[in-house]
Amino acid sequence: MIDFISYPVSYLVLGAIVIFLRPYFANTIGVLSIVSSMLCLFVVSDSQILNYKIMSFDNIFYEISDLSFLFCVVFLIIGLFGKIFSFYRENSNEKGYVLLYIASALGVVLSGDFLTLYVFWEAMAITSTFVIWSTRNQLSLDSGNRYIILHLIGGLILLIGLIGLYSQTYDLTIREISLNTWYSWFILIGLLLNAGAPPFSQWIPDAYPEGSYSSSVFLSAYTTKTSVYVLIVTFAGNSILIYVGIYMILYGIVYALLENDIRRILSYSIVNQVGFMIVGIGIGTELAINGTSAHAFSHIIYKGLLLMSAGSVLYVTGKRKCSDVGGLYKTMPITAACGIIGAFAISAFPFTSGFISKSMIVESSYIEGLEIIWYFLLIGSAGVFLHAGIKFPWFVFFHRDKKLEATDPPILMTIPMVSLSFICIILGIFPNLLYVLLPYSVDYVPYTGNHVVSQLHLLLFSGLAFFMALKYLERTLTITLDIDYLYRRNYTLLRLILSRIVSYLPSPREIFRYTKIDKKLYLIENTLLNQSSISIMLSIITVVIVLVFLLNI
Amino acid sequence: MKTRKNIIFWIFIVISFTPYLYLFYDFKKVKFSVDNLVGFYPIYGFLACVGLIIFAKLLGLVLKKDEDFYD
Repeated sequence: MIDFISYPVSYLVLGAIVIFLRPYFANTIGVLSIVSSMLCLFVVSDSQILNYKIMSFDNIFYEISDLSFLFCVVFLIIGLFGKIFSFYRENSNEKGYVLLYIASALGVVLSGDFLTLYVFWEAMAITSTFVIWSTRNQLSLDSGNRYIILHLIGGLILLIGLIGLYSQTYDLTIREISLNTWYSWFILIGLLLNAGAPPFSQWIPDAYPEGSYSSSVFLSAYTTKTSVYVLIVTFAGNSILIYVGIYMILYGIVYALLENDIRRILSYSIVNQVGFMIVGIGIGTELAINGTSAHAFSHIIYKGLLLMSAGSVLYVTGKRKCSDVGGLYKTMPITAACGIIGAFAISAFPFTSGFISKSMIVESSYIEGLEIIWYFLLIGSAGVFLHAGIKFPWFVFFHRDKKLEATDPPILMTIPMVSLSFICIILGIFPNLLYVLLPYSVDYVPYTGNHVVSQLHLLLFSGLAFFMALKYLERTLTITLDIDYLYRRNYTLLRLILSRIVSYLPSPREIFRYTKIDKKLYLIENTLLNQSSISIMLSIITVVIVLVFLLNI
Repeated sequence: MKTRKNIIFWIFIVISFTPYLYLFYDFKKVKFSVDNLVGFYPIYGFLACVGLIIFAKLLGLVLKKDEDFYD
C-alpha cells in the first residue's frame, strides 16, 4: 500500500475512476489528481524503486532518473494547464480518458523494464484513441479507427522486437541497445512509429486535429514525446536517426505549407519539431542529448500554447480552416498575443524557450563537424518560421478580415494560455531554470553574439521570403495526399466489395428470425452501435488491466 | 492587401538595420568556411525558404486533391 501511495501514476488512475463514477466533479477531480501526482513526484526520494514480480518477470514500475524526472515534470505541467483549459468542455468521459492517457504516458517514462514499458505503451495507444473518439463525430470516429490500427501494428512490431530481445539475452531492463541484431531493428521501428517517423508520419496530422478543441492539447504532448524519451534511453548515438530526423523536419515544413486546417498545420509542425529531437538523439553527444531533452520540454509547452490558441479560435468561432478565419486580432487580442508568443517560441526567436533549446541541437552538429547536417538544420530553422512562426498567426489573426463575431474565450481558458506564454518567455530569458533539470551538466551559453545574430538574420530573411511569396501561399480548399492514400482509398474499395458480397448472403437476422437468439442479437447490435457504451466498457477493461498490474493480483 | 504592403515596408525597415548586427558577431569563432562570409545567414535563410515554397508548390500540383477526396 505504501508503494501505491508513492507511485505518481496511481493518483491519475484513481482520479479517472472517480471521474467515471462521479462525472459531476470531473474538473475538480482532474486538477486534484494531477496536483497530487505532482506532489508525489517531488516528495518521493530518487532511490525509491517499485518492484513487482509478475509471471516470473521482475517488473520495475518506478525507477526515476534525471531524464525521466524532466519528462514527468513537463507532462504534469501541460496536463495541469490543459485540464484548466478544458473546464468548459462538457464531456466528462473525455476528461477521464485524458487522465488515463497522462497516467500511461507517465507509466512509460517511469518504467524500468521493457515489459512494463510495453504494457503502458499499449495503454497509451488505447486511451489516446478514446480521447480522439470523445469528439463524437464521424470524422473523429474514422480517424480514431485509423489511428488505433496503426498504433496496434506498431505495438506488435515493438513486441516482436522485445520477444527477440528477451529470447537472446534474458534481460528486459531498459538499457542502450546496439543496432546489430534483428530484434533491435524491430524495437527501433516500433518506437519510431510512435514518434511519427517516415513513412507513417501522417498519423499525427490525421488524428490530432480530430480531437476536441481541448483534447488536442493533450494529444500533442504525450505520444510522440514518450517515444523521444525511450529513444534517448535506448538508441542514442545511432547515426541512422539523424537522417530520419532530417526527413521529418523537411516533411513537416513542406506539408504544412500546403495545408489549410489550422490544427493540422500545427500537427505537421509537431513532426517537424520531433524531427529536430530525433536528429539530436542521432548525434548522441552530451550536448545533443541535453538539447533534445530541453527541446522536448520547451516544445511541449509552446505546442500546448499554440494548440490552446487554435482551440480558442475553434471554441469561439467554430471554424477550423485558415480560409474561414482572418483578422481575429481585433476581436481576440489576448488569444492573438498568446498565439504569436507561441509562434515566436516555436521558431526559436531569441528570448523565447525555443531559442535556448533548439540552438543546443544545432550547435552540437556544428561542434561535431557534421557540416551537411548543419546546413539541413539551418534550412529547418528557417522553415519552421515559415510554416508555423508566421503562417499560423498571419492567416488566423491577420490577413483578410472575415468580420467574424468573436471575443476572447472565458477566463479559465485565457489563464492557461497566458501562463504558458509566460513560461515560454521566462525560460527564454533565464535558461538556467531549464538547464538545471537536464540529464548532463550544462556548460552551454545560448546568448552569445554569434548565436543571436545568426538566428536573427536567418529568421528575418525567411520572414521576408514569406511575405514576398504570400500570393503563392494563399489557402485553397484542398487536402494533400500522403501514404494513407494506400489504405484509405483501397479501404473504401475493399469495403464496397465486401458489402456487395455480404449483401448476397442471408443475414443472421433472417436465419434466426422468430427465435430467441434474434432478440439477443438485436440487443448486442444496439449496444455496439452506441459508441459511448463501448467506450465505457473498454475504459473499464483498461482500468482493470492497469489495476491488476498495480496491485499485482 | 494594403496590410501586406505595410508589413513588407516595415520588414524592409527592420532588415535595413540587420547589417549592424554584425557589430556583435565574432568572425574569429567560426568553424566552417561559410559562416565567416558576410551575409551567409540572411541569404541562406532567404534561399532556403524560397526553395521550400517552390518545392511545396510543385508537390502540391501532384498531391493536392479536393477535400471530399476520401468520402
